[in-house]
Amino acid sequence: MSAKSTTTAARIADQLASCGVRLVASLPDNWVMDVIKTIDQDDRFVHVAVNREESAIGLCSGAYMGAMGSAALMGASGLMTIIYAVTKINYTYEIPLFLMATLRGQAGDHHKHHVSNGLYLLPVLNAINMPYQIIDKPEEIDLISRSYRHTRTYARPMTVLFTRDLLRRAH
Amino acid sequence: MQYVECFRALARHRTNEIVVASAGNSCQAWWAATHDIDASFYLDASMSLSTMFASGLALAQPGLKFWAFMGDGAFVMNPGMLMVERQMNLQNLTHFVVSNRAYGGTSNADLPNRGDIDYAALARSMGLERIFEFSTIEALERDFPALKASNAPGHTFVVLEVEPFSEQDQQQLESPPFDGPELKFRFGRHLESLTGADIFGYRI
Repeated sequence: MSAKSTTTAARIADQLASCGVRLVASLPDNWVMDVIKTIDQDDRFVHVAVNREESAIGLCSGAYMGAMGSAALMGASGLMTIIYAVTKINYTYEIPLFLMATLRGQAGDHHKHHVSNGLYLLPVLNAINMPYQIIDKPEEIDLISRSYRHTRTYARPMTVLFTRDLLRRAH
Repeated sequence: MQYVECFRALARHRTNEIVVASAGNSCQAWWAATHDIDASFYLDASMSLSTMFASGLALAQPGLKFWAFMGDGAFVMNPGMLMVERQMNLQNLTHFVVSNRAYGGTSNADLPNRGDIDYAALARSMGLERIFEFSTIEALERDFPALKASNAPGHTFVVLEVEPFSEQDQQQLESPPFDGPELKFRFGRHLESLTGADIFGYRI
């Protein structure tokens, strides 16, 4: 864990706590491993490691209906798998949901298996009218709490997308 | 046992449990058995997610008890959910697998390998310990009260072996007549009144 990523992870955790998030459901992506470790070790959160991203949608949606703040954390590929769950649950019932994911497949991401995410992730979010906020710089981390609050107003999902430059380093 | 009769038996034994019904036939059957409009969330079209939804509720409200129904067609889409449920091990959650060995919501289409799946064994393999199976109304009426009264720690998993909906059931049993936002507010306001929790951020 580099000093930069530790600081970034801690600031993301602080933002979540400031919104009243208690439950964090996650599936790993290399870029968010430090965030997951930080949340897992932080007593302010109940961290549930799920084994399918849709399960995180179910958990967080139920937590909302029980008055518990929550967030789902996953990679870009995981975000691509949850379209059914969010459209059926969160859009149908108008249940707020706060998502955090990696913005894979952009310049600087050298993994060829994420090219498809670079091509299709943002168009898919646009196609289902899911608002998103790209967070690329440390000074933009405060946008997490604004985005979280928007889900409560909008009564539907919103996602923040973390770039490689934010979570790792420029490449 | 007959699907709706099974649900009517469960309804007779229900006291204050909050219910989450799922995609497939369980929403129709629970609605037919109870016509509950406040303490049940009809999570229709949520393939394999009703118990995760109920787990979030149960985590958030440990003072309430939750029942979650899931058809076996939905269950086999995401059996890994049991690993998550085992990890969370919520004492106030009972997961009912309604095993009709068919995709009841889609004209009773055959479930692949339907004759050979042992849901209780699958749950045991995931580390669950409180596992129960019922295949007759008589056994359900006789043994369910003791199961329900137990304060044994840990998440409870119940397999209900039922017949698929008949042709007549398919035609006559209505779906709960609510749009999504109405259900959300009815259910949420009910939980607010029970617990004092603030779900929506404002009160009427």
